[in-house]
Amino acid sequence: MGLIKKVPVYAEHVPGGGFVATQLESVLSHAQACSMWYLLFATACCAIELMCTGASRYDFDRLGMIFRPTPRQADLIIAAGTITKKMAPRLRRLYDQMAEPRYVIAMGGCTIRGGPFYYDSYAVEKGIDHIVPVDIYIPGCPPRPESLLEGCLHLQKKIKSQKLADWHEK
Amino acid sequence: MTRDELKEHILKKYDGLLTPLETGVFDLMFEVKPANLTNVARMLRDDEQLKFDFLNNIAGVDTGEQFEVVYSLSSISNNLRLDFKLVLPYDEAVVDSVKDIWTAADWHEREIWELYGIDVNNHDNLKRFLLPDDWDQGYPMRKDWDAPDFVRMPEL
Ligand code: SF4
Repeated sequence: MGLIKKVPVYAEHVPGGGFVATQLESVLSHAQACSMWYLLFATACCAIELMCTGASRYDFDRLGMIFRPTPRQADLIIAAGTITKKMAPRLRRLYDQMAEPRYVIAMGGCTIRGGPFYYDSYAVEKGIDHIVPVDIYIPGCPPRPESLLEGCLHLQKKIKSQKLADWHEK
Repeated sequence: MTRDELKEHILKKYDGLLTPLETGVFDLMFEVKPANLTNVARMLRDDEQLKFDFLNNIAGVDTGEQFEVVYSLSSISNNLRLDFKLVLPYDEAVVDSVKDIWTAADWHEREIWELYGIDVNNHDNLKRFLLPDDWDQGYPMRKDWDAPDFVRMPEL
């Protein structure tokens, strides 16, 4: 990724180079936004809505989103479900294993701030943003598939609007 | 054997070891002295007419005044159910292991040890079970437990 990051820097000094750099940027980010492969990280009831979104009625695949069982092949974690304190280090570890650029969607109240387990719980992590940086929050208990789809569309927008030079800065 | 016959049988045969309590709503509830635990457990399992060969659950309870440990038993062959509990003062929170009577007790006893701090005698595998391995914040199911990020439900 280091080389690609340098291309716009050098290209700008060439006549017409700015145009090339912009086009390269838009092609790459378009490709990236339309093939967000997500890591299956479904720990509680929100996973049911995630599965429903993946199934034929809502059809995640049409956004180019395919689930991967390994973090090495994934661009995105959809954290669907309660994260307990014991689970938190595992989530961090999976996140660390993903190749950059990587994104996180926090799906459901549990991942945002502990949800229904905010009070009186010794075991539930109060928000996964204590563990990994989160790009999109989708509130709900559970969020409906429409909300999840909208969240993914917002993430696509975010990816398309970012500059090549930002790739490493996250 | 019906519920009443079971109660009668137990009162007749184990007089003094199991004291009936009125709190059992669905299953019969008895109280057992902590010192008699292993004796009673073995007898309930080996009694031909009862054969409580299945331990459903061991539950710890913190009532705010004392600990209780509730054992629920089933007899698969005789289709019977029965609960009994031990009452433990806070400063004598220790029970004998029934692991060699019902193997299922292994995990349950680790759980009450870990979450309530009720010590278990003669348990050969007493180590962390549900909480993270590096947990150092005490026993979270106790009524007076507190931690920096623990939020109590406000009174409504
Ligand atoms: S937010 Fe609600 S539906 Fe989602 S995992 Fe938590 S409790 Fe379950």
